[in-house]
Amino acid sequence: MLVGALFAGLVFGLYFTLVGLGLNLVFGVMRIVNLAHGDFLMLGGFAAYGLFSAFGLPPLASALIVLVVFTLLGLPIYYLVVPRLLAARDSEMLSIILFFGMSQMIEAITTIAFGATERSLPGRLLGVGPVILLGQRLPSSWVYSAVVSAVAVVGVYLYLYRTRLGTLTRAVMVSRDEALATGIDVHRVSAIAFGIGIALAGIAGVFAPFMLGSVTPAIGAGINIAAFAVIVVGTLGNPLGTVLGGIIYGVSLMLMQTYLSSWANILPNLLLIAVLLIRPEGLLGRQVRRA
Amino acid sequence: MFRRALLGLAALLPLGIGVARAAPPAPAELKIGTLYASSGPFASISMPVYDALKIWINEKNAEGGVFVKPYNKKIPIKLISYDDQSSTATAATLYNQLITQDKVDLLIADSGSVLTSVAVPIAKEHKMFLFDVSGTGGTFFTKDNPYIGLMADPVSTIWPKYIADFLDDIGVKNGIKKVAILYSTNDFTGTQAAAVRGFIKKAGKLDIVYDQGVPTSTSNYTVLLNNIAAHNPDAVLELGYVGNDIAFLRNLQDSGDKFRFVFTIYGGTEMDELLKNVGAAAMQGTFSYVPAALYDYKPNFGPTLEQFRAAWDKAYPKGSGVEWGANAVYGYMTGLVLERTLATTASMDQMAIHNAVFGLSGKLNTLDGPFALNAEGAQVGEITPLGQLQMQGKDLKLVAVYPPKFAKGKADLGK
Repeated sequence: MLVGALFAGLVFGLYFTLVGLGLNLVFGVMRIVNLAHGDFLMLGGFAAYGLFSAFGLPPLASALIVLVVFTLLGLPIYYLVVPRLLAARDSEMLSIILFFGMSQMIEAITTIAFGATERSLPGRLLGVGPVILLGQRLPSSWVYSAVVSAVAVVGVYLYLYRTRLGTLTRAVMVSRDEALATGIDVHRVSAIAFGIGIALAGIAGVFAPFMLGSVTPAIGAGINIAAFAVIVVGTLGNPLGTVLGGIIYGVSLMLMQTYLSSWANILPNLLLIAVLLIRPEGLLGRQVRRA
Repeated sequence: MFRRALLGLAALLPLGIGVARAAPPAPAELKIGTLYASSGPFASISMPVYDALKIWINEKNAEGGVFVKPYNKKIPIKLISYDDQSSTATAATLYNQLITQDKVDLLIADSGSVLTSVAVPIAKEHKMFLFDVSGTGGTFFTKDNPYIGLMADPVSTIWPKYIADFLDDIGVKNGIKKVAILYSTNDFTGTQAAAVRGFIKKAGKLDIVYDQGVPTSTSNYTVLLNNIAAHNPDAVLELGYVGNDIAFLRNLQDSGDKFRFVFTIYGGTEMDELLKNVGAAAMQGTFSYVPAALYDYKPNFGPTLEQFRAAWDKAYPKGSGVEWGANAVYGYMTGLVLERTLATTASMDQMAIHNAVFGLSGKLNTLDGPFALNAEGAQVGEITPLGQLQMQGKDLKLVAVYPPKFAKGKADLGK
């Protein structure tokens, strides 16, 4: 049971890397907390459900559409909200309030439009039955989700370290003011990062019916808590640290389910408290971040 | 002079008695208060109850109101309802508001044990009778609380009896020896797990090899299924809410594990919802309760199941986002109990309401089956039969298989 839990946790954790990746990218670039992140993930799930119901599109095709549409969706949202937010004295705190309101609105509108009940996609779309990997049985949908997550991580890495836009993005992450002073179009760079962040949440949402059983308009809040645990453990503002955070979260969750199943839901809070008390900069952080 | 005065007094006497016996002035409307959850984990069991209750209210108001015996006339119903968003904290505030601010005449709890659990002490404190739609947690019903009556579902302490009886009887005869119990840790499924565990241990014929609780928020069962499979059980009982059952059945199909007996609560209770999310292949062969929404009881009051289904489909056609299921029956059935209560109560005092509700016990049969309460207000009238989801042609049907008096087919336990 122990080996099975560890292996499953590793793969499940890769999915939660994808869940937290966009949130961490947005925080790293803009120093704002997108509390609507879980709701964008939920919208990704509903988009996949809608695309399958209307056109019979499989999840992988839906993920590509969500990537494009959500990135484009992020641009106007950024310009509408974020520049004014960043001009405020306490933009981090204000962002929590503002995006909390946005989260409530998205949930309410989705409930009115689609109802409050669970939506899912047929399991057969990502294969039926288990896959044997290193002697361990895993649902094939987990393998697909983990592969997509790995591709997303590599994509974000290539974007940040192998493209000119990525270099500019990293410059903004280091110091927004200095980036501005050197002539970088900070808002353009940030808007693209915001779009990518939302798109990553949307792609995670496409696979949510397979990893979480179903999606409802109300899943956003729970997703946010898990995503925060992942990125705080991995290091706030370091998108690639999310990988470590996701794997620790996944493995811990599966171990809790195996040995202390009744207490499994307190795990994200435990991880958050433990990391903030012992190593507030996160496991990959170099120093305490000054807000 | 004295004789004339005496005669005048004598003439007024019957009039005076008449005044004393006249009905009190009737209010312009009867206020019924309830909560619903439009979002959150309990939305899928709450909204059908609320939507069905509205059907009953609309029907009564179309007839000029509901007949209220103390006023000897029909009075229009005003529904006062708030959205608790599946939050017990919000629900507690709103139940208080319904009683103290809105001053409702009758109080109906939100669906399910979790959202009812906060209503029970509040109603008791305010001496307000609580129409408990489907909060079946065994701890709600105590000798010192006359202000509660369970409407629709059997109390959780007896509800799973037929599961245990089936396994001890048919199961043992077919070689079932080991049982795994996996339950969500809340009032509803926690009580069900305790009850089924107690029944199985009392009979002493089966070995419980796995018995674990998980948070109600659990959405992935892959590792839990691996752990269960490691104990090699013949029967697996998964006791959770709708979201839990969806995730469990999907993960069970993905895992490739096969158990001879698999039980979920909502596979039958909210069959349409599960079928939409899980698919027939993953549900085929599993067992569940056969709810009133899928069993044709013979009512002595109110419509038949078929008639109510027609009214439901008219109010909420396909694609409206409102799913048909057992909870729809529970909501409408609660309306029927209210109707009979108001038609028989001596006054609108809450203890008189209590007496009227308990007076219906053993006499009322609705589309939800026989209505009977024990002394504490727990529903004991009907224990839901056990059914198996079997393919009949191209359709998946829930066939009642136990007990024999309700059975409409034979269980297939595989090999």
